[in-house]
Amino acid sequence: MTDATTMAQSASMKQPEGLRTKLPSGWGTAATVAAAWIVLIVASGIHRPDFLSHQTVLAVSFTMAIVGILAVAQALVGMSGAILDLSQPTALILSAAVVAWLLERGVPVPVVAIAGILVGAAWGLANATIIVFGKLNPIIVTLATNFIGGAVMFLIFQNAQAPLKSGFSDFGRTYFLGLPNIWWPMVALVLLAGYLVPRTRYGRHMIAVGGNRFAAQARGISLRKTRFAVFGISGAIVGAAGILFAASNGPFAPAVGSTYQLPVIAGVILAGVSLAGGRGSIWLILLSVGFLSTVPTSLVFFGFSSNWQAVFQGLILIVAVAIDGFRAKRLQR
Amino acid sequence: MTVETSTTNTSGFDRQRLRDLATGSVTSIAVTLIAVIVVGLTWIGPNFLQASNITIIGTFVAVPMLVAAFAGFALLGGVVDLSIGSMVGFSSCLCATLLGWGWPLGAAIPVTLVACVAFGAVNATAVVIFGADTIAATLGMLVALRGVCYLMAQPSGSLAAFDANFYAFTNLTVGPLPLLFVIALVVIIIAAFIVTRTRLGRHVQAAGGDDRAATRAGISVTRVRFGALLLSALGAGIGGVLYVGQLGSASNLTGTGLEFQVYAAMMIGGYSILRGGVGNPIGAALGLLVVAGTSNILDVQAISPYFTNIIVGLLLLAAVLLDRLRGGDAYE
Repeated sequence: MTDATTMAQSASMKQPEGLRTKLPSGWGTAATVAAAWIVLIVASGIHRPDFLSHQTVLAVSFTMAIVGILAVAQALVGMSGAILDLSQPTALILSAAVVAWLLERGVPVPVVAIAGILVGAAWGLANATIIVFGKLNPIIVTLATNFIGGAVMFLIFQNAQAPLKSGFSDFGRTYFLGLPNIWWPMVALVLLAGYLVPRTRYGRHMIAVGGNRFAAQARGISLRKTRFAVFGISGAIVGAAGILFAASNGPFAPAVGSTYQLPVIAGVILAGVSLAGGRGSIWLILLSVGFLSTVPTSLVFFGFSSNWQAVFQGLILIVAVAIDGFRAKRLQR
Repeated sequence: MTVETSTTNTSGFDRQRLRDLATGSVTSIAVTLIAVIVVGLTWIGPNFLQASNITIIGTFVAVPMLVAAFAGFALLGGVVDLSIGSMVGFSSCLCATLLGWGWPLGAAIPVTLVACVAFGAVNATAVVIFGADTIAATLGMLVALRGVCYLMAQPSGSLAAFDANFYAFTNLTVGPLPLLFVIALVVIIIAAFIVTRTRLGRHVQAAGGDDRAATRAGISVTRVRFGALLLSALGAGIGGVLYVGQLGSASNLTGTGLEFQVYAAMMIGGYSILRGGVGNPIGAALGLLVVAGTSNILDVQAISPYFTNIIVGLLLLAAVLLDRLRGGDAYE
C-alpha cells in the first residue's frame, strides 16, 4: 500500500515540468477564458439589453449540459495521452437509443439509467480492447469504430425518441433552482472529476501515463490497465450524457451525435487540456464550455443567422489550438 | 529509416524503394483490389467489368482521386488536412456563385482556386507557424468552411451554374473511361513520380518521417509543411470546381464527408494520418478504387450503402494493423 503510494508520488514527480507549469498556466488559461466569456456577455448585453435574461441563461445551460459531460470524457482520454476519442458521437447516440428503447418497453428508470451507462462503458472497453491488443493508435481506432458503429445504427433505426409522457422526459425538460435539471449533473461531474483526478492514485497514474508513458511504465504503472480504465470510465460518462440527451431531446437520428464533436474538442482544448497528454485541469471545462455555449445565443442577438454558428465555432477552435500550440512551443524553449 | 538511406546513398534508396514496393502497402492494397474485383465478378457476373459500370465507377472516383493526389503530400509531410471535405464544398459554392454572376470560366476558376489556397494558408499558419495540433485546427476549418457553404448557398441550399462547355468537358470519355478519371490517374502517376523519384519528394518524405533529422539534413520542415498544406487546399479547390462542371450546380452539402472517404481510402492504401513519411499516391488510388468497387457492388446488389461504411471501417482497422505488423509505430 505504502509502496504503491510512493510509486504514484514519484511517478507524478517524474514530470517536474508539468508540476511547475501547471499552476501558472492553469490560472492564465482560466483568466483568459473567463475574460473572453465576460467580454462576450457584456458586449451582447450592451448591444441588446434583453440578452441578459433568464431565457438566455436557460439556452446556454441546456447547451452546456451535454457538451460539458462529453468534454469531461474527452479530457480524460486526452490527459491519458490517448489524444482524442472520435467515436463519442456513436457512443452518445447508442446509449440514448438503448435508453429510449428500454423506456418504451416499460423498464423502470433506474434500471434504464444503469443500462445507458453500461452501454457507454462497454463501447469504451471495446475501443480499448482494439487499442491495447492491436497496439493501434486511438484516433484511428475510434475513427473506424465511429464509422462502423454509425453505419450499424443507421441500419437498425432512422429515428428514436424517449416516450414523451413519462417522468423521464419531464425530468429532462424541467428546472431546479432556475436552471435545467440536466445542467446540475454536468456541474457535479466536472467538480467531482476535477477534484479526483489530481488527488487520487488512479488519477495521477493516468496523468503520469499521459505525460510520459515509458517513464510511467518504468514506475510500475500498467499501461494496459490504465487504457482500459480510461476508456471504460470515459465511455461510461458518455453513456451518462446519452441518458440526459434522450431525456431532453425530441426524436433523434443516428447522425446527430456528430454535431457535438467540435464544441467538445474545442471546450477541452480551451480548458488547457493538452491533447498530447499529461496536462490540464478539468474544472476549467465549466468556463470553456460555458463560453462556447454562450456564442450561439450571442450570435443570434447580434443578428447573425444560425448559419454563422459553424463559422464562428470553427474559427474559435482554430484560434484556440493555435494559442495552445504556441504556448507548448514556448514551454519547450 | 528510409530517410537516413536517402540522404546518404541514393542508389541504395532506389533499391530499398523497390523492395518496399514488393512487400509494402501498395502490394497488399493491390491484392485487396483484386479480391474486390473477383468478388464483383463472381457475385454480379461479367457485367461488373462492363464498360458502362466502369464508367460509373470512374466518374464516382475521379474527383476524390484528384483530391487525394494533392492531400497525399500533406500526409506524407506529417500534417493532416481534415478540412478538404468542406474546402471542396466551398470551392464549388464560390465557383458556382461567380459563374452565376456571369463571370467567364477563365476568371471564375482562378479566383476560386486562389481563395481556396488562401484558406489553406490559414490552416498552414495555425499549424506550422503557431504549432497548432493539425487534426484539431483543420477540424475547425472543416466546420467553419461548411458554415461558409451554408451562407453562400442561402436561401435555397443550392446554386445553379450550368456552363454547357464545362459540362461537356467534364463528361467526356476516353473509351469506357471518363476523361476526368484519366486525368486523375495521370496526376496520381505524376505525384508518385515526384514522391519516389525527385529531391522534392524525398524532402517531403524526410520532413514527415523525422522532422529533426530532416532539419539537421538542411531541409526546411516549416516550408515543406506550409507548402504541403497549400497544395492540399489547391487540390480540394480543383476538385470542387470540377464538381461544378460535372453537376452543373453546387450545394451547401457538396463534399460533406469527403475527407473521411478520402483519408480512410488513403490509410487503407498505406498512408498514415498520424505519422508522415509513409504512403504512395498509387496506394491511395488503389485504396479509393477498393472503396469505390465495394460500394458499387453493394449498389448493384441493392444493399444498403451503410454496409460500405462498415466494410471501410473494418478494412481501415485491418490496414493499420497490417502496417504495424510490417514495422509501423506500435501504440502502447
